[in-house]
Amino acid sequence: MTHRTRRITRLLGAIAAGTLLFAGCSANSASSGSASPEPASAEESAEGTSGDDTSAADSSAGSAGDVMPLSEIKVALVNGGPHPYYASWPDAAAQAKKDFGLADVTFDDTSEWDQTKQNALLDSLAARGYNAFAVFGVSPADINSTFEHLRDEGFAVGSVTSCPAGDKDSAYFCLSTDVEQAAYEATKALIDTLGGEGSIVHVTGLLVDSNTQRRIEGVEKAVAESNGKIKLVQHISDIDNDLQTAEKAVTDLLVSRGSEVDGIVGTSTVSAEGAIAAVKKANLPIKIMAIDDTEPILDGIRDGSVAGTMVQNPWGQAYVGAYVVAKLQSGQCTINEDGIYVDSGSFLVGKDNVDTFDAKRIEKSKSLIDDFNNKYLTCKG
Amino acid sequence: MAGLGLAINARTLINRSNAQLWVLASLVVLIWFAFTLVDPNFANSVFVTYPLLRDAATFTVVGLAQMTALSIGHMNLAVGRMAAVAAMVAGISFQFFGASLLVGALLGIAAAALLGVLTGVIIVVSNVNSFIVTLAMDFLLVGFVALVYTRLTTAAAFTVKPDGMKYLGRASLADICAGPVCGPRFMPMLLIPALVIVGYMIWIYRRSRFGRELIAIGNSMRASAAAAIPTRRRVIQAHALSAALAGAAGIMVVISNGAATAAIGSEFMIPSFLGPLLGGTSLLGGAVSVIGTIFGTLLTFVLRSGLTTHGVGLEALNISLGVLLLLVLSVQSFSRIRGQMRMAKARMVRVRASAAGSRR
Repeated sequence: MTHRTRRITRLLGAIAAGTLLFAGCSANSASSGSASPEPASAEESAEGTSGDDTSAADSSAGSAGDVMPLSEIKVALVNGGPHPYYASWPDAAAQAKKDFGLADVTFDDTSEWDQTKQNALLDSLAARGYNAFAVFGVSPADINSTFEHLRDEGFAVGSVTSCPAGDKDSAYFCLSTDVEQAAYEATKALIDTLGGEGSIVHVTGLLVDSNTQRRIEGVEKAVAESNGKIKLVQHISDIDNDLQTAEKAVTDLLVSRGSEVDGIVGTSTVSAEGAIAAVKKANLPIKIMAIDDTEPILDGIRDGSVAGTMVQNPWGQAYVGAYVVAKLQSGQCTINEDGIYVDSGSFLVGKDNVDTFDAKRIEKSKSLIDDFNNKYLTCKG
Repeated sequence: MAGLGLAINARTLINRSNAQLWVLASLVVLIWFAFTLVDPNFANSVFVTYPLLRDAATFTVVGLAQMTALSIGHMNLAVGRMAAVAAMVAGISFQFFGASLLVGALLGIAAAALLGVLTGVIIVVSNVNSFIVTLAMDFLLVGFVALVYTRLTTAAAFTVKPDGMKYLGRASLADICAGPVCGPRFMPMLLIPALVIVGYMIWIYRRSRFGRELIAIGNSMRASAAAAIPTRRRVIQAHALSAALAGAAGIMVVISNGAATAAIGSEFMIPSFLGPLLGGTSLLGGAVSVIGTIFGTLLTFVLRSGLTTHGVGLEALNISLGVLLLLVLSVQSFSRIRGQMRMAKARMVRVRASAAGSRR
């Protein structure tokens, strides 16, 4: 080690030690016996405590305590990354802010589907004063740790669009489509369109996503109920990243086994769009049952190239989710059953209702607010 | 004569690396203060500093994994998948065999190290470039990891947490007390394993013969072989160490996220280069900086955290990191050319002096 290197190492050590002294060590009484960071007061955290350690408080959301007006609640709607599914969330955020008189409702994502980056985003939103969170977790398998962290810090948190994997939900509630049921119903609808027999292909998203596993189970359940009249040719997974990948994967399949395929069920948006594009180019008489309501899918229904689509309720998930977390954080309401699952609704859309289904979704969203007020929440006054 | 050349070269490297370290450390401090001045929320210990240091600790270990491969002039493009394998093995041991946190972590790291040995052996035996071999290993492991998760789990994750895992993932140094005084709350407990690894790596590259031999191999494989350094064995050991460090980083992600998933490590590759390269490690081998890797990683996380706290998207961060990396690599390249010119000039002076001497 050279003399100069030693000097630098010592200086860096001094900087580190100085930082420690500057920041100050905590008193033993503040942390003894604590297995996790001390719960912070939600109000203090919301105001941005500028580096001071937040004091202990027991005003966790959803429990009996001081009641705040909704005008003091700042809600963050956070998804996992850019996706056409969330196109209606900014509008839902603005509508929720206006309808419920909230201080703010923001919509944000990490631009990259990464749980660690989503955790960092949630922390930064908390630092910026947001105190109620409706979150679509990137990784359903470990999102519970994130929910527990937010709850420990005194924030209300709801899981929207997707529930954590497994039996446990550490958020106050989960408001999402039942993905297994939606995949099952979409496959049943496709089987009906085919007249109860034929061969189908399932196109979907990331294989190692727990939601994909549930969708696969839904499809297989519907196929199993056909008593052998429907043959499942293949699940094509991991093609939800971009349209080009999805279209190429389906085209490759059609080139080799196109004559065997009678129908395709798509249980993720981009894979379904890829299937539509590939079938159109191949000009084969294959029936497609899609998911969601992007323009290519709705146009396909209108021109007859798509038999139908299983539409979810993203607007309602954001709008109702914002309402419920705000109510919980304000202390005006408490949840009756911690971690309860609530189906946000899914609707089969075909040529007959392609231009009118949105009214049904708004109706469903309003009924969800009523359900929360009357069944799932206990509110003061 | 050759010894003098090497000495000049080494001195140039050290001077350049020290200057770069100073610039980097100053940049980290300056950017930190600038973000805090613009928005005091950036100094929030619970929601900014703690997660920033926790993530930086993990990615410093990722950076050190890549730095080890870079030290011999190689690359490890499978750094993320090796982390995924370590996480997967640890997850399996927790879920199916009830292993403790320590045993699971050691098993995971050992599995990653074995993959590193395999990678090193393939490189040495086939003589194929490490870029190709580790790229192939990356593809192989992507499929293998996905296959294991889909076969063994229904939720695409191993979610059983051994005793202490949740605590370690969320605790801070405030839980360590000496009498009435405890550590600072903004420092995550995961800093401790990261600092142990950093200390070990500093010892390896500054004090051990093994480390010096890795640097020598990075400078010149042929010269190292001529100097009786067991180059083939050292290449295998370097890849094993790189993989073991990647595995340790994978375990740290499992601890902080609370579950082992196939996605662990998928975001490791680019940051694994950023930290070491910003910190002064040469892409061509033969020059490393452990402390530089820490500051290089810290710089990226301070930038990311600052921009996120200010509500700026990650696109801006990626652009700024790209520009920063290009600048650093340009400075490195410029310094190398200047160093080579100085050496050539010194050699010319010596040749002239020697010619003048022989004429006399």
